[in-house]
Amino acid sequence: MKQLISLKVNGTTHEVAVEPYWTLLNVIRDHLGLTGTKRGCDSGDCGACTVIMNGKPVNSCLVLAVDARDRDILTIEGLAQDGKLHPLQEAFIEKGGIQCGYCTPGMIMMAKALLDENPRPTEAQVRQAIAGNLCRCTGYVKIVEAILAASEAMTPAKP
Amino acid sequence: MAKYSVIGHRLPRIDAVQKATGKVTFGVDVRLPAMLYGKLLRSPYPHARIVHIETSRAAAIPGVKAVITGQDIPENRVGYAVKDEYCLARDEVRCIGDPVAAVAAEDEEAAERAVEAIEVDYEELPAIFDAEEAAKPGVPLVHPDLSSYTTTSLMGRRFSPQPGTNICNRQQRRLGDVERGFRESDLVFEDTFRTQMVHHGYIEPHAAMAFVDPSGQITVWCNTQRPYGIRDYLATALGVPMSRIRVIGTKVGAGFGGKISPRVEPGCVLLSQKTGRPVKMVMTREEELTATAGRVPSVVKVKTGVRLDGTIMARKVDILFDTGAYAEGLPPSNRAINDAAGPYKVAHLEINSTLVYTNKMRGTPFRGLGVPQAAWAVEVQTDIIAERLGMDPLDFRLKNAVDEGDPDSTGAPLHSVGVKDCLRQTAQAIGWGQPKSGPYRGRGIAALHKSPTSVLSASGAIVKLNEDGTLTVLTGASDIGQGSDTLLCMIAAEVLGVRLEDVSIVSADTEVTPFDHGTFSSRLTLYAGNAVRHAATDARQQVLRLAAELLEAPVEDLETRDRRVFVREQPQIGMPLADVVLASIASRGRPIMGQGSAHGPGTGLVEGAVPGWKYGAHAAQVEVDPDTGQVTVLKFVATHDYGQAINPTMAEGQIEGGVGMGVSCALSEEVLFDGGRVVNPTFMDYRILTSADMPPIESHIVEVPLPEGPFGAKGGGEPSVIAVAPAIANAIYDAIGVRIADLPITPEKILQALDKKRRHGPKIRG
Repeated sequence: MKQLISLKVNGTTHEVAVEPYWTLLNVIRDHLGLTGTKRGCDSGDCGACTVIMNGKPVNSCLVLAVDARDRDILTIEGLAQDGKLHPLQEAFIEKGGIQCGYCTPGMIMMAKALLDENPRPTEAQVRQAIAGNLCRCTGYVKIVEAILAASEAMTPAKP
Repeated sequence: MAKYSVIGHRLPRIDAVQKATGKVTFGVDVRLPAMLYGKLLRSPYPHARIVHIETSRAAAIPGVKAVITGQDIPENRVGYAVKDEYCLARDEVRCIGDPVAAVAAEDEEAAERAVEAIEVDYEELPAIFDAEEAAKPGVPLVHPDLSSYTTTSLMGRRFSPQPGTNICNRQQRRLGDVERGFRESDLVFEDTFRTQMVHHGYIEPHAAMAFVDPSGQITVWCNTQRPYGIRDYLATALGVPMSRIRVIGTKVGAGFGGKISPRVEPGCVLLSQKTGRPVKMVMTREEELTATAGRVPSVVKVKTGVRLDGTIMARKVDILFDTGAYAEGLPPSNRAINDAAGPYKVAHLEINSTLVYTNKMRGTPFRGLGVPQAAWAVEVQTDIIAERLGMDPLDFRLKNAVDEGDPDSTGAPLHSVGVKDCLRQTAQAIGWGQPKSGPYRGRGIAALHKSPTSVLSASGAIVKLNEDGTLTVLTGASDIGQGSDTLLCMIAAEVLGVRLEDVSIVSADTEVTPFDHGTFSSRLTLYAGNAVRHAATDARQQVLRLAAELLEAPVEDLETRDRRVFVREQPQIGMPLADVVLASIASRGRPIMGQGSAHGPGTGLVEGAVPGWKYGAHAAQVEVDPDTGQVTVLKFVATHDYGQAINPTMAEGQIEGGVGMGVSCALSEEVLFDGGRVVNPTFMDYRILTSADMPPIESHIVEVPLPEGPFGAKGGGEPSVIAVAPAIANAIYDAIGVRIADLPITPEKILQALDKKRRHGPKIRG
């Protein structure tokens, strides 16, 4: 039996009728048409579906849509502001942190959650933070470089 | 001043902004109005006869629009290289995961319920799972009709089945007289190695959408590495002309060889034909890990004869490849014939490659075709030999590594050989010869080569000039994440003297873009790159001819750069490229379009000759915990000869990604079978290394230009994975004195080897 819930995604509130077993990932992709968030495994192992919910990164394939009701959800589509890319997006582009691009949205959202909490992470902290996001193309080298570069750009080291 | 204005520059890939913002359409993202969701029912048995399929209960489920079985489709055998299967099994299933029925429904839940409601009566047949057993006489046959099989027109070139057996291909390469070579050797080494099945592990699952319109015109959107191959397959399966089929490649969430063959495309087309509506299928991760394909597992026997001075005299390599239920392992088994000897001078050579069927998930090309399997064996044995000779493993490799003019395995002379440069740079960067930094630590090195696609591989391209002097490239090549779209635009921009942002590209659409064999074998830089270079050069010639008239200057004095055409010695005499294009359209009625094509440089003439070899060297520094068997790679260095790195950032990305994949495959990954059943079909149990586990990876680029390549480029995506495992294994030996012959190198194998060594062998170094 479907329930009507309201979901706040990227600042816009949507009224959606959802089955109780639908995941947040389903609703974001198939009902709101925000296909930037990716499905890779549907079991929380790959991180491609990472979005930020009330400031915390979640695997949206493991969150029921009804449990996301009235929460503040940020997806990759909501990251650039007024046509200006987020520094993480800039850094991923500049450093070559994107190859096939399938893990990229989840990776960037996970990195944003990290930098929101820890603006100047060490390389080890970056590697730990994105350890739930699989990438098969890059060996993670340029992804880690990009996150550290974005951190530097957003919060320059004190002289 | 830089040699080129675009080539060799670290430019962001042209689709990076869209990818960083989630605004690209991958296969999984394609949606159409009124689309249905498709699902496949798969065999639970490794070998069985289909007695009866009852679909009435499934068809009655609300929302279900079509249920089809193998009896509903044309009886046309299809395949990637060998035509040995049907889109849907007809009478027999040969592995767990074989599709036996397909369903289309209004939503995924109804499709799933319908698949579960299909009743199939199977009669189990004897199955065989072990490749060495399967190669023997008198065992159950996976394909009793093998003698009637034929190859596909695009891929199946060398195919030599042994009817009445499970051996679907046997090839041999000989150079010199291998028996004489062994007789003239002082020492002869014989070792056996094994490689496991690993999965490509691309994060985007296979996805396709098909729509068959009322006139019968078929359109398929899919995340493929080879749109022309998909079209060929569908035309054969359905018995329709190619002009009725359009395959449009979407963005591809990586492939590595795993997205060469169709997996869901035929089902979508058949269901759309039946329903008249668009049908989409996306595979689950469990389907990916149980019903697609992985790297062809192998047993590799290497016999090498050497002189006491360290000269390799003779080498014989016998490889048994397990292709599983279908012969997608044909290209790897053929490729190994070229490459298995390693990048060494071997005057007397014999390579035997045997491909056998078993009732398991199939093997298929995977980054490097059959070369990583051979390199695992040859490069570990190389260290065994060096130790016995009392030679440094690096020196032994340098002594025997190929030079300019040496023959390759076909006897053709090599040129543009960068392997020694790669070895030296790699050795230096890993700290070769320096004291060990602690106990249980060691260094290992390995060399590699990889032949390019051999004869009969072609790429076409068109370059169109726009009225404002910008341009559009049309290529059949698909960018699967490696960045070919960017690279091809860079080549066109360099030739015509414009900027990268002036170039747009349409790729991988069989109705629009010229033929391309596909994205595999690291062939795009060389083949599609040359095709674009020739097309751009053709367009440029048209520009120059008209500009010569307009500027009243000889063609040969003209130059194109900075979006202008001008007289080389008097740059002020010139005009914008745009003006030439406009003049050509307005006053000559001749839009400027260049066309180009390329096949193997120098190939197509000599069967099997494969110029344009790629080279590299890998080295690892490891630490082994002798109590747990845990191997930690402290540092990995990889150097690759790119000829010319068209885009160094992307070239490094290929190296880092290949090494990362190689480390993961060496230490962690294995598709585990219980009989014919995959027992670890999730990313929880099929462990790909995460960012936290991945060692620091240092990439180096060597550039020994290939004259036949575009701007000297050789390309390379596969080579970076080839010698990772042996470099790590050799480092483990250096650390703790045990050799592992079977991949992956698990802690259990390390502990067993250490235990054996404690009981029998010399003291552990450390």
